[in-house]
Amino acid sequence: MNEVKITVDGATHAVPEGITVVQAMWHIGREMMHDVGCLGGACGACAISVRFPGRFDNQCYLACQTPVEHGMTIAFMPSDASKKEIAPLPRTEPAEQVLFQYYPETRRCVGCRSCSMVCPVGIDVMGGVRAAIAGLHQDVADRFTNCVMCGLCAAVCGAGIRPHRVGAYTRRLTGAFYEKEATQLLERINEIASGEYQDEWNTLLSSELSDAREEVLNECT
Amino acid sequence: MNVLEISKLKVGETRSSRLDETPPKLSQAEKDALVQQYHPDYIKEAYGTIRVGMNKGEQTVHRVVSLLEGESPLASESIRLEAKQQVDVLIIGGGGAGSMAALAAKASGASVLMTTKLRLGDSNTVMAEGGMQVAVSPEDSPVRHFLDSLRGGQMANDKILLKTLVEEGPSVVKWLIDNGVMFDREEDGNLSLRPGGGSSKARLVRCKDYTGLELMRVLKDCVLNEQIEVLEYMPVLELLTDEAGGCSGAILKNLDTNQHFVVQAKTVIIATGGIGRLHIQGFPTSNHYGATGDGLPLSYRAGAKLTLQDTFQYHPTGAVFPEAMAGILVTEAIRSVGAHLLNVNGDRFIGEMETRDAVASAIIRECAEGRGVETPSGRKGVWLDMPLVDTLNGAGTLEDRFPNMVKQFSRYEIDITKEPVLIYPTLHYQNGGVEVDVDGESGVNNLFVAGEASGGLHGRNRLMGNSLLDIMVYGKRAGEAAAKRATSTEYKSITLQHLDRFHEAQKEAGVIPDTVSPILFPDYVNKS
Repeated sequence: MNEVKITVDGATHAVPEGITVVQAMWHIGREMMHDVGCLGGACGACAISVRFPGRFDNQCYLACQTPVEHGMTIAFMPSDASKKEIAPLPRTEPAEQVLFQYYPETRRCVGCRSCSMVCPVGIDVMGGVRAAIAGLHQDVADRFTNCVMCGLCAAVCGAGIRPHRVGAYTRRLTGAFYEKEATQLLERINEIASGEYQDEWNTLLSSELSDAREEVLNECT
Repeated sequence: MNVLEISKLKVGETRSSRLDETPPKLSQAEKDALVQQYHPDYIKEAYGTIRVGMNKGEQTVHRVVSLLEGESPLASESIRLEAKQQVDVLIIGGGGAGSMAALAAKASGASVLMTTKLRLGDSNTVMAEGGMQVAVSPEDSPVRHFLDSLRGGQMANDKILLKTLVEEGPSVVKWLIDNGVMFDREEDGNLSLRPGGGSSKARLVRCKDYTGLELMRVLKDCVLNEQIEVLEYMPVLELLTDEAGGCSGAILKNLDTNQHFVVQAKTVIIATGGIGRLHIQGFPTSNHYGATGDGLPLSYRAGAKLTLQDTFQYHPTGAVFPEAMAGILVTEAIRSVGAHLLNVNGDRFIGEMETRDAVASAIIRECAEGRGVETPSGRKGVWLDMPLVDTLNGAGTLEDRFPNMVKQFSRYEIDITKEPVLIYPTLHYQNGGVEVDVDGESGVNNLFVAGEASGGLHGRNRLMGNSLLDIMVYGKRAGEAAAKRATSTEYKSITLQHLDRFHEAQKEAGVIPDTVSPILFPDYVNKS
């Protein structure tokens, strides 16, 4: 198997090609606890900052989703430990400004794009922040669909904006005050509450289902 | 060209001719025969007999037997049983079920403490892709949802648990929407529904292929808004019991300081999830890093009974290539919109929307009988042909509905809109677990269990989308019931009498534990 060389905490290691950075950590004998979570690219625990030879900039990735590459120098980023704003949803249709009540600094964005540069899941974070400033909630919500809440965007923001929180809160506003009702859902809830299925349940649960196997199966098909 | 590439070409060649084919639906007898011959649950050598505890004399896989018969981590440590904190409801586990239970218990007026061995939200929930089953369309009904689940579960489901699940499903979805979950909608505002394997109607609600991430993000936000105290990197090593044998707290360990932390609680809810990281029968897994089944030995030693502890779900479509993705799930929803399963010859061999146990068995059969494809690292698999999804539903469907899947494979230069991928069953779910009543209470007084750690609801095979519904409905129910109990009782004594009894039983049965349980994390570290 081909090997590639990676550098972690100053030491260089040869690891098999084709494995992820997390798998490489196990390969070089590291116990993992703080820097690993779901292993499926969804929890945001394993954010890393990576440098490559000959490049001056850093790239950020999720270690469980990133194959090792020759020459990588890797540092694991600490989890977002910032205290979250207590930001409940309003009870009634929100004013456009409700977001800024909890996240007023959002409007201080200077357009440096640092947040977009560090996002390990490739969100155009700054685009989301600008959309939030413009009051385009649906646009913000769409952009942050796959946000894993690692908080790297907030860590690099010179204006103190917390884009991941802005995204999450705007998504909640958008979901809770969706413009159209899910009428079928509401009807079904009413049907169940009014006992519409009671006769069917009575018949079904009174018979010995294990003896009525074929009957049940036929009913399904 | 190697065998893999030749086979991949065949898949491309047969694509257009397969479009109109419909594989015959298996009769119940055919399905039973297939499952009994090839499903890992029926490999006798993989099973052993439990020698102590409430399920003494019953069977489960060797790995779970040793977990249940395992030594408590406390055997080698001395503990002062002095409560550092008192709380009405202690919740063990920070995933979907635990968070929902915490919110429900808090809303019911109880004081709540959550503890988790990773961080809040690091769980299987956050990775769930395909959706959540809820019978809302006019052609559908809760009764139909019940019957489909019963058929999927090989008729072994607890009927009362299942009836409650399907009836409370719609209300819980309403609760989620009110709390800001963005489910995919149709033009008219109704929930967009997709079919799932073994379901007679389309009833999966979803958020693209990020359903679990969306749910967990909202639940986490709610937990933080409610200022519920959450202890992270603090697993439970042992439960505590009172003189009457009821549960009265737990001993936690701070993984960063190695200090113990004793909690006295009026009620305890175990929401520790499943067992994928035990790699039962050597299978890769789709589960998160902490899925080591901790709730099973904890509750078992405290005297709880398990049910259906011998049955596991091997999700049919786990990636086997590239090696770095081995075990990662390819959502069933991709088959529900038309992806085909194909063997080395490019032939279909099973109806893609049969239940998971049947589809997994058929894939194992193809590979066992020489019709699988071998990967460069020696794994076997069959093809999942996803480009068909765009052919059938219009170009861009994969990118639009399954952005995560497209992205995950693209990191390894595999374009799923153009080429098939190799898959094999991956250990996905613990069908059984701790036996509970409809409020989530186990056989041990004041000990509640919610989500994957509990058993009975799903029978011997869970239907797609029923686990997300399970954690919501039963997380909520357990939280409410535990809070109600806690607010009407006093704190009880905290002892380890159950452990003494368990040690006695081990001695009597001649059991010499070969593992310390809970094991907390899988051991992947290269020691050489």
